Amino acid sequence: MTAIVEARGLVKRYPGTLAVSGVDLEVPEGEIFGLVGPNGAGKTTMLRMLATLLLPTSGDALIAGESVTRNPQAVRRVLGYMPDSFGVYDDMKVWEYLDFFGRCYGLGPARRKRMIDDLLELVDLAAKRDAYVQSLSRGMQQRLCLAHALVHDPQVLLLDEPASGLDPRARVELRELLRELRTLGKTILISSHILPELEELCTSVAIVDRGRVLAAGTIAEIGQKLRVGEVLRVRVLGDAEALDAARAWFEGQPDVASATLDSGLIEIGFRGDEAGAAQLLAAAIASRIRVASYSPAATDLQELFLQVTDRDEATMGAPVV
Amino acid sequence: MSTLASRLPFRGRVPLRGRSVPLPSGMSAIIVKELRGRMRGRRAFVVVTIHVLLLALFAWMLQRINEEQIRNLSAFGGQTTYAGASVGRGIFLGLLMLQTLMVSVLAPAATAGAISSEREHQTLDLLAVTPISSFAIVLGKLFSALAWVFVLILASIPVTALVFVYGGVAPDDVVRGYLVLFATVIGLGSIGIFFSALTRRTGASTGLTFVITLVLTIGTFFLWVYFSTTGEVSATGARRQPSEAVLYLNPFVAQADVLCGTEDGAFGGTCGLISSILNTPQTDIFPPDGVPVEPVPAPGVGIGGGIRIDPSDTTGVPFVGKGGVAVGGLDDANADEAVSADSFRDRFWPKSVLSFLALSIVLTLASVQYVTPTRRLRPSLPGLVRRLARKRSAS
Repeated sequence: MTAIVEARGLVKRYPGTLAVSGVDLEVPEGEIFGLVGPNGAGKTTMLRMLATLLLPTSGDALIAGESVTRNPQAVRRVLGYMPDSFGVYDDMKVWEYLDFFGRCYGLGPARRKRMIDDLLELVDLAAKRDAYVQSLSRGMQQRLCLAHALVHDPQVLLLDEPASGLDPRARVELRELLRELRTLGKTILISSHILPELEELCTSVAIVDRGRVLAAGTIAEIGQKLRVGEVLRVRVLGDAEALDAARAWFEGQPDVASATLDSGLIEIGFRGDEAGAAQLLAAAIASRIRVASYSPAATDLQELFLQVTDRDEATMGAPVV
Repeated sequence: MSTLASRLPFRGRVPLRGRSVPLPSGMSAIIVKELRGRMRGRRAFVVVTIHVLLLALFAWMLQRINEEQIRNLSAFGGQTTYAGASVGRGIFLGLLMLQTLMVSVLAPAATAGAISSEREHQTLDLLAVTPISSFAIVLGKLFSALAWVFVLILASIPVTALVFVYGGVAPDDVVRGYLVLFATVIGLGSIGIFFSALTRRTGASTGLTFVITLVLTIGTFFLWVYFSTTGEVSATGARRQPSEAVLYLNPFVAQADVLCGTEDGAFGGTCGLISSILNTPQTDIFPPDGVPVEPVPAPGVGIGGGIRIDPSDTTGVPFVGKGGVAVGGLDDANADEAVSADSFRDRFWPKSVLSFLALSIVLTLASVQYVTPTRRLRPSLPGLVRRLARKRSAS
């Protein structure tokens, strides 16, 4: 898969602050890519530069092969953007809102009509077609805003904190919608500081703090790159003695950093990859350890995030206030 | 929702990749959106109706005032011949000045929030990521905001046309007056657009726009009066006059020039003002045959008209030529030329109209700069003004 979004040394400097400092990013086509980071990490600034709303101080980014600095109009054609704090127009009906943006993209009347019908159906607002935009609930407005970003059938969607301020139900709906869009072949860049939300949704993430990308890739990849290691949970049948023997056996194996006994489960800190884990299991069974279950404990994005930012703080010194 | 994936038919890419949406479609997108909001329901219709009714009432009152003045003059033995023309000019003067005042308030008010309100509603970004050009955004905003003022002006034409019943004002005078009105709307409207593109808050933008409008209407005139009365006196005894260009962006002076075209052009009324602004003698009417016509102040001067009688005329029947100028003792064939009122026409307002249009072009281009999100040039308000603007919008 080729990278459809490609940032090269993006820098944004404001008087007195460096909002984004030299970001390189590659997002393969068809991914749901999460930008994770605390508030003020520079996520919004990055997205705004990709959305051609902000000129980078230096560096450049290509979206579908077009430069955001040299050819912003071409980028705008392939891009749908939903800002963090989106606005709605007063005195405008739902269908007029989409019609307006359709006109902005130069769509003809027949195409606009069909697009409005389809999009309202997609975001589940067909019943609200003639309602005034300001009368919609926040979740509905958010969905309408997402629909507006789709009027020109863009290849890439940039969504800045799309789930902020939504109730749990609206969040689930939004997640479904984004999955739906992925099946339509869209590449989605999504920023959030709510980690569990991204974890369920994203195919890969970039961890961002203080204007830099600290790590990027799938959650497993990042874990490996950082040598955080995987945690394997093994349930072994037998009495306490057998359990302790098993623990000691696991501890003696290569690539095992640690093995601890925790309420009947052996937790193994494992440095190897999946093949290594399979080999370890085979060896354990060959050694007549009665393994009842053997599974990697999923690496938590939240945990990963804390580790990455901790490590960053240790190497970078105290945060600059 | 999952079945929808297969149903989405809006496949295929948007046409014209890599280019802006053409200017006309970009502008029409903005204009359609704005007008949908503004012209919805009964509101627009009601406002236009009330506007026309009030204007008609005002015109009727002007007519009564002018008629009474003529009647009083005749009671004191004043000249009442062609009083109708005088009444017509009086109504025209009143209507034109009232409408100029009205658009000087409405045009800046309509545009001062056009772009800043998009910022306040956080919708400008949504607009900026579409391939619509900044130029189309600014022009679309300008014309949709002003469309409303244009509608009010157009609706007033029938009321203004009532002056034809009285005479004294020719159709081309009305056309001149409306040209100045439209130019005023566009010029002052661009000031509003410029400040709304420059500032974040509609409050600050409105404040700055009205300050500039006041400077242009009252400020420039005051400056001109100051310099013309305090200017150096040269050896010949003439006072140095300020440049007329000071007043080019003053819509009231431009309208005064239009009104001058309806007068006899020689003295008094608005022509006096224009002549002193242009620094030309008032009484230089010479018929082509070289016989000077001695103007005599006539009734109605004070109310914007004037009927002039040639004192050497023995017939006692004045001739009313173009522009309502009464000249006696000339035959019909060259009466029109002899009047020579045309030399007092169009001396100022065309420059004013051109100035307004030039101002509009400059400010529109500047606004485009401020609307473009990725502009490289970032001039901003000087620190002091900005702080003031912020304070005002905060309070």
